Amino acid sequence: MVMSIPGSEHFSSRPIDPDVLTASLPDSLPVHSVTQEQIDALDPLTYEVVRHRLWSVTDEMGEALKRMSGSPIVTDANDFDFAICDEVGQEVQVGLYNTMLAGAVDLAIYWTLQHRVKNPGVKEGDMFLCNDPWVGGGLHQNDVIVYQPIFHEGKLFAWTSAICHEPDLGGVGLGSFSPAAQDVFSEALPTPPIKVVRDFEIQDDIAEAWIRRSRVPLLVNLDLRAKVGANTVGRKRLQAVIEQYGADTVKAVMKRMMADAEGRLRDKLERLPDGTWSATGYQDQSHAGDRSVHRISLAMTKTGDHLSFDFTGTDEQAGLINCTYAGLRGGVMLALMPMLANDIPWSAGGLMRCFDLVAEEGTINNATFPAAVSRAPIGPAWATGSLVAECLSQMMDRTVEFADRVQASCCGTHDTAVVAGLDQRGDVPVPFLNIVMDVMAAGYGARPRADGMDTGGLFCIPMGRIPDVEMTEYLYPLMTLWRREEPDSGGPGRQRGGVSGSSAFIPYGTEVPVGLVVASSGKAVSQNNGLAGGYPGNTAVGVVARDAGVAELLAAGSIPLRLEDLAGTKDLQACYGETAVGTGDLLYLHWQGGGGYGDPLLRDPDLVAHDHGEGKVTAAGAHASYGVVLRDEAVDRQATDELRTRLRDERRARSAGVAAVDVRHDVAAAKRLDDNLVAVEVDGVEVVACGHCGQQLGDPRTDSVLTLAEFEGPTGTAGSQVTDDPGEYVDDEIVFRQLCCPGCYTAIYSGVVPAAHPRHVVELERYVRA
Amino acid sequence: MAYVIGVDVGGTFTDAVLDDEGTIVAAKAPSTPSDYSQGVMDVLAALADGVGEPLERMLAKTHHIAHGTTSSLNALVMGNVPAVGFITTRGHRDSIFIMNVEGRYLGSAPHQLQNVMGQDKSHSLIPKSHALEVTERLDRDGTVVVALDEDSVRAAVRSLLDRGVRSIAVSLLWSFKNPAHERRIREIVAELDPDVFVALSSEVSPRIREFSRSATTIMSAQIGPGLRDYLGQMQQRLTDAGLRGPLLVMQSNGGAIAAAEAPSTAISTVGSVLTGGVVGAVSLGEQLGHRNIISTDVGGTTFLVGMVVDGEPVRTSTTIINHHPINVPALEVHAIGSGGGAIAWIDRGGNLQVGPRSAQSVPGPACYGAGGTEPTNTDANLVLGILPESGLLGGRKALDVEAAREAIRVHVAEPLGLTVEQAAAAIYAIQNAQTGDLLRKTVVEAGHDPRDFVLYAFGGAGPAYCAAYAAEVGVREVVVPLGPVASAFSAFGLAASDVVLAHELSDPGLMPVPAATAQGHFEQLERRLADAVSRQGLTFDRVEFARTIDLRYTAQLAEVAVPVPSGPLADADVVAVMDDFEARYAGLYGEGTGFSAAGIQSITMRVQATGVLPFNPQLPKLADADSADPAAALATVRRVCLDATAGYVDTPVYDYRLLRHGHVITGPAVIEVPTTTVVVPPGTTGRVDHLGNLSITTRN
Repeated sequence: MVMSIPGSEHFSSRPIDPDVLTASLPDSLPVHSVTQEQIDALDPLTYEVVRHRLWSVTDEMGEALKRMSGSPIVTDANDFDFAICDEVGQEVQVGLYNTMLAGAVDLAIYWTLQHRVKNPGVKEGDMFLCNDPWVGGGLHQNDVIVYQPIFHEGKLFAWTSAICHEPDLGGVGLGSFSPAAQDVFSEALPTPPIKVVRDFEIQDDIAEAWIRRSRVPLLVNLDLRAKVGANTVGRKRLQAVIEQYGADTVKAVMKRMMADAEGRLRDKLERLPDGTWSATGYQDQSHAGDRSVHRISLAMTKTGDHLSFDFTGTDEQAGLINCTYAGLRGGVMLALMPMLANDIPWSAGGLMRCFDLVAEEGTINNATFPAAVSRAPIGPAWATGSLVAECLSQMMDRTVEFADRVQASCCGTHDTAVVAGLDQRGDVPVPFLNIVMDVMAAGYGARPRADGMDTGGLFCIPMGRIPDVEMTEYLYPLMTLWRREEPDSGGPGRQRGGVSGSSAFIPYGTEVPVGLVVASSGKAVSQNNGLAGGYPGNTAVGVVARDAGVAELLAAGSIPLRLEDLAGTKDLQACYGETAVGTGDLLYLHWQGGGGYGDPLLRDPDLVAHDHGEGKVTAAGAHASYGVVLRDEAVDRQATDELRTRLRDERRARSAGVAAVDVRHDVAAAKRLDDNLVAVEVDGVEVVACGHCGQQLGDPRTDSVLTLAEFEGPTGTAGSQVTDDPGEYVDDEIVFRQLCCPGCYTAIYSGVVPAAHPRHVVELERYVRA
Repeated sequence: MAYVIGVDVGGTFTDAVLDDEGTIVAAKAPSTPSDYSQGVMDVLAALADGVGEPLERMLAKTHHIAHGTTSSLNALVMGNVPAVGFITTRGHRDSIFIMNVEGRYLGSAPHQLQNVMGQDKSHSLIPKSHALEVTERLDRDGTVVVALDEDSVRAAVRSLLDRGVRSIAVSLLWSFKNPAHERRIREIVAELDPDVFVALSSEVSPRIREFSRSATTIMSAQIGPGLRDYLGQMQQRLTDAGLRGPLLVMQSNGGAIAAAEAPSTAISTVGSVLTGGVVGAVSLGEQLGHRNIISTDVGGTTFLVGMVVDGEPVRTSTTIINHHPINVPALEVHAIGSGGGAIAWIDRGGNLQVGPRSAQSVPGPACYGAGGTEPTNTDANLVLGILPESGLLGGRKALDVEAAREAIRVHVAEPLGLTVEQAAAAIYAIQNAQTGDLLRKTVVEAGHDPRDFVLYAFGGAGPAYCAAYAAEVGVREVVVPLGPVASAFSAFGLAASDVVLAHELSDPGLMPVPAATAQGHFEQLERRLADAVSRQGLTFDRVEFARTIDLRYTAQLAEVAVPVPSGPLADADVVAVMDDFEARYAGLYGEGTGFSAAGIQSITMRVQATGVLPFNPQLPKLADADSADPAAALATVRRVCLDATAGYVDTPVYDYRLLRHGHVITGPAVIEVPTTTVVVPPGTTGRVDHLGNLSITTRN
């Protein structure tokens, strides 16, 4: 039972009916709005022109923020976002950067209108700053939002906002990240909305109280000014648009943009099948020292033009792997916007009307104060998004129209490594702190008609990037021995998951050890699951090689490229931990690739050969995972056919016997359910069959689940990309589970999961109904 | 007495302009994609006809030919390049495949950015098997950490040669701080095969950030051999035809370079065909006394915007090609797919969109009757009466108004519940709005007030829209260059160009860097440039050097280029440069947004040398009109709709050929020029200036 602190509920923001919110505002804060008639009266032309203008405004705000910020996490990794909201905070336009933030911005404005209007007031020339993830604006304390009310003729007209991730805001851990945290008091102080700009002027007392908490106050101060500057750009541009087109017209466009986005998403949902899809995901370890697996459960129900996401059954909040309601909602948006709203303008306020959320208070993705939440965006919110993506993919995989929207899971987290120490390369030693960004070069999930993007980035930051090695070496006393794509790290599949990469760093130009904080889930349990029988991508690995002898190797004219080439001992990093990288040590990070789609034994062997040539798959990987035999970089057809037959036989031999009804159907005209399954009409009822061999797998009149051949074995059976010793991290039993058609032994499901993981794909109800 | 010739090879037409000290002759010929030099010879023949001399005599009297070519850009965009090998530092081969992740989306339009799952990273520059590592390592100071292992170099080069590679790009980490290893690799390549083309990153792009430096070097190696062959062949044909002076090639930076010198830094010519218009705008601006100009060039598929501020074209240090960031100093030219052939369509939400897809030259707009069925800007203009139903080019190109109406009816009018005329007016307005947005982005985002600018509009489709999109951003005066260069303004710009060479060098450091360090770098760059200038084979009036340094607040990604005084530098000069940076920054982002306490870093130093040629082509004077009344030039009156709310209005249509200096045209009016159509909207006034240009201003 989770106990929350009395009084903390005051800071808990939730979506509110805009009419109720408007009605609650005092006469001292008149708001500008328009009637439905004014919205309806907009001609298409004016609508389009002003909509373009509003897009340019957010675009300019983002450019301004990016150019002004001093944090590599903003300038190089693009972990930030910005929004224009209507008078009560509904999001009219959001940026293309960190999409999770779309789930949080409006919450901060709703809260501000409920708790800041009377005292200290919401006035023209104000800007508020907030980093309280219960209030909203961001997902954890490092996400800092600066937002301003915009007035027109004395009436509250709209809001603009700019958010970015700050490298450090104090607390006991480097980067405000304490791997051992059990509650928020070990982390950066959550700050509910404070008025940092008053009468268009930065308030030095507030600003200095704000930056004082940080280990890098200069960067935080520069970022504060960047966000104020971005909002100023937004205000001036928006006011120019109002001047040109009139306040009522601009507001009518803002309202219609949201209604339009909502209408288009609803229209799309109408064209998709109704039903319920379930998915379960995990966080392995909750904090340093923990050895258990923590579950997030999702049942997504689509009815007509509406989605409902029910997270009931999710584990209680624990350690630091928690997120607030803002994270829960942000996680949903991370999947929903690119998958369903790819061709709909991101008027997030409208999109968010198309779903509701059910989540128990005090759970890891709806945590109550004082849960530690520093892991929120990259842990539980992200995992929430991955589950939403999995359910959406399975729903859309039923259709032909939406096949290009289906995607196996991408890399499931930001494999965090914070390094800090003393840069002694200049005349005067200076402290440094850096969040390693290389890990953002992660793999994307495979799609039914395309492989996952190799080192394509993070799904939640469409415009993310990583810094050049030279820029890292210029800024910090580190040398990058290698940064490369890692073959075999993409989940094997008929379409291959995108590969991830690895980097190796040594301290260079410092005589004191470099402090290191690591935080990454997905080391014991796969977070980058495959789809439709595709295998998971790699599990993450972090190693500190002690006394590695790199300096000696370099002096001798040799550049090591493998951990095996190093001397000393290898110190495997847990999911969460704190250590030091000594001056003779090496830090190795291998982050996650994407999951595969479809059975890898069905992949075109020539594509496997091409992958081998491009360094995406090793010859051993081609053999073991794809059943492809390469000779002189070309496919040996006969050997490949034989090997693939043998691998299917092995699947048959290792699987538990099934009492399958050996009924075969002609599936030539059957209806697609996914890459492997089809629905065949028999006596007026749809039954599920294997699309490859016609074997009947389930009849809704007699079965509740599909009859599949099941194998459970050691995780390493899934391939060399997956850890063969999850016991290094957790005590729970972790297995490779594969479910195959008992007729042809094509993989229907392949996952690296806790042994207690539910068998969602066998639920007959998700495919056909009696 | 000598001629100067500018030749602009576009996708559809090859244009040429000849300047004979005050007399301008222009000519046009179809481009010949299979061998562009044929189109060049054709247009020169046409030019000789215009001059009234045999080709041989014209060329013998020609001081030089300045050439704008799509050859480099097309080769890259179409992927029509030879196999190139890449050699880099051990452990870092994959940099060009990881592409800093941003290779997935760089250069995409907003609607593509949002469609994350529709993106891919399959556009790597070369196959991985052609990217090899050698053992060596430098640190950030350029100090050798691991010496170059020459055996590893030989093995890599042999492997590439075995794979048939004839051009090799070399880009090592930190080579811009110490090029010794890269140079040694070039020597080893020459030992093994002296005919292989080699591009070194320390020469092509000595700038920090290895991904864009390597990509730039690889692209340069991809187009270098082709450019060498193309220019060699062209030079040969011209020499055979009688040309004695050199052939120059336009570069992205708005200046020309001798054809013989271009291939070694081939990537600098990638914007060759984009920048002629901006250079032309600078030249015409000098004649007209305009210091601040927005240059807009609207062709069939694209809308190009460049800027001139205080007499100088606005520059950028990075260009994006095929999702790769390329380090090429360039005149900043923004482009959107919003030309005359841009297609109007309805998105899923029922909103009218124009572009970015274009009907291109095949099938072309519906009204061309060449198979196009989708409505384009050109179709809308025909329905609105802006274009004559009698056809273009004085009736030589027929237009099918019924086909235009049908396309608009089916694809726009019926879905939106509008009449065909209303739909056409909506297309016209959307086009003006989105080009207005691009203008605003270009002008306002760079910190300028459009009201301080004159807008120049050229290209076949520009003059029909210019007054409207100029009004969108608050520009008060629009100039449509007409006269002899109406259809060949870019070629005019080429004829007016000087030779511009630039060298740069990254040496990241904390400001204020010691004056002696900066001085040393700038002098080294200036010495190299002086050498390069002397290799151009031309006599210059004078050579001007301009220094800049890129500064940023600590750890910012984006730098701001700040001018540095020439000559010996004192520490106080460096401090003044910092102050200038802070002032520019505040100007861009608002007072109080800068934060010098975070520290200011210098990243890249750059010197540009301009070899000023003794030519300054001027447009010829037009005869004066007897009075302001242009009635003598009135061709007809037809119903034209320029504004949906006003509907169709009887509008005078003038024949440009009969207009004279001093004629005043009160909008609404349409002016038909043989190669374009100018709209003078209601509420504006057009004046024909002494050079035959039309200047459109808002009436109060």
